[in-house]
Amino acid sequence: MLLEKEMKLADVIHHDYNLIPVINRFGIMLGFGDSSIENICQEKQINQDFFLTILNAFHDPQYLDKDSQQNFSATLLIDYLQQTHNYYLQNKIPEIECLINEMETKAEVDKASYDILRKFFEEYKTELIKHIEREEKRVYPYVIELEKAVINNTIPPSLLSRIKEYSITSYEDEHESVEEKLKDLKNIIIKYLPPSEKQQSRYKLLKELTVLEKDLNDHANIEDLILVPKVELLEKHVTGK
Amino acid sequence: MSKTKKVVVVSDAFLLSAGVENLVLELSGMLVDHVFNGSERKLCEKIISKKPEFVIIDPKSVSDKLLPMLRELDEEKDIKIIGLISQGLSQNIISKFSYTLNIQDNKFQLVEALQKIVGNRDQEIIGNEQLLSKRETEILRELALGLTNQEVADKLFLSVHTVMTHRKKITRKLGIKTVSGLTVYALMNNLVDIREVERQV
Repeated sequence: MLLEKEMKLADVIHHDYNLIPVINRFGIMLGFGDSSIENICQEKQINQDFFLTILNAFHDPQYLDKDSQQNFSATLLIDYLQQTHNYYLQNKIPEIECLINEMETKAEVDKASYDILRKFFEEYKTELIKHIEREEKRVYPYVIELEKAVINNTIPPSLLSRIKEYSITSYEDEHESVEEKLKDLKNIIIKYLPPSEKQQSRYKLLKELTVLEKDLNDHANIEDLILVPKVELLEKHVTGK
Repeated sequence: MSKTKKVVVVSDAFLLSAGVENLVLELSGMLVDHVFNGSERKLCEKIISKKPEFVIIDPKSVSDKLLPMLRELDEEKDIKIIGLISQGLSQNIISKFSYTLNIQDNKFQLVEALQKIVGNRDQEIIGNEQLLSKRETEILRELALGLTNQEVADKLFLSVHTVMTHRKKITRKLGIKTVSGLTVYALMNNLVDIREVERQV
């Protein structure tokens, strides 16, 4: 289903509760009554086109296959992506760590297995942080500078040489190894962690990992299918090709 | 995972083809590659060029061209042809299909019927699922200890290519791809000892 500005946000959330973290990232709190997407965007001064693009991209990944000319800046998109990173690092990861600790404390047998699991997650976390830092320190500042140059129509020579040596096209898909680790982790919990009577925290953990996995996938899709094409356009504009 | 089986649908009715696509998705390892209209020109040629394993046909959409079409498709030995049976279709037409699905059936009947036509998939995998061979266990152990493909090959007197083949099989059987994930598996199953692993790190 295509989500449109006339729809009530409440109906949209009823229809797909996966969108809750997304509206949260836009600073929309629950309790918005019967307001339409359009009204909420006006009230909160959210760029409506951008909000709808992100909602639709999360709701149905196929949405990004159609090439629509989007009416928002790369800087806005980056601001959003950074907030998503914060959400992972400040909310999701600690939540998951908490669940693993809980499992480990409650366990009566096989304590060693949980310890192994925790170490594996720590390794995953380190890798995720490294990946996020690379994006925030190298990729995003480059894009912001690029967009500024296009708007001001002044291109610093340093930027030109940077495009030559590092363009967004070389922003190759690094997500993969991070993704694989998360998949492995789920499989280990489902298939290989020794069974125990205390299943509740295990279910919770699995659910959280699945939610995180979906969110990361959608995040990566937005980067690959919205950010990269946008930046490629900017690069062409600057180099005049 | 085994190769995906391709299905081609011939139907003019969107609701019907959408339903067939949904049904096919119920079976793992299958997908609808293309939906053709019954009235398309050079239909058989187009179908064959898709190299499908299965063609699901709504006989009503091809009407009088059905018989020549079936004759032509029958020449292709690798394609199974499935007819969609709906009310009012003559027995004569139904009898032309070696496989049929009845669109009046409920979901579970249809899934079962299609499963029967498709045959028992992945039997080889289901048979010895999870069980790693002795060689695979040996290689898994070394990988879990942090050895590279090349190092494992040298140590066990194998070619790198062989090690990689085994590794793919291990990943397929366990559903674990990363080295750290394999290490976790090996530790939990006591294939390696935590002290051995730590010594390596």
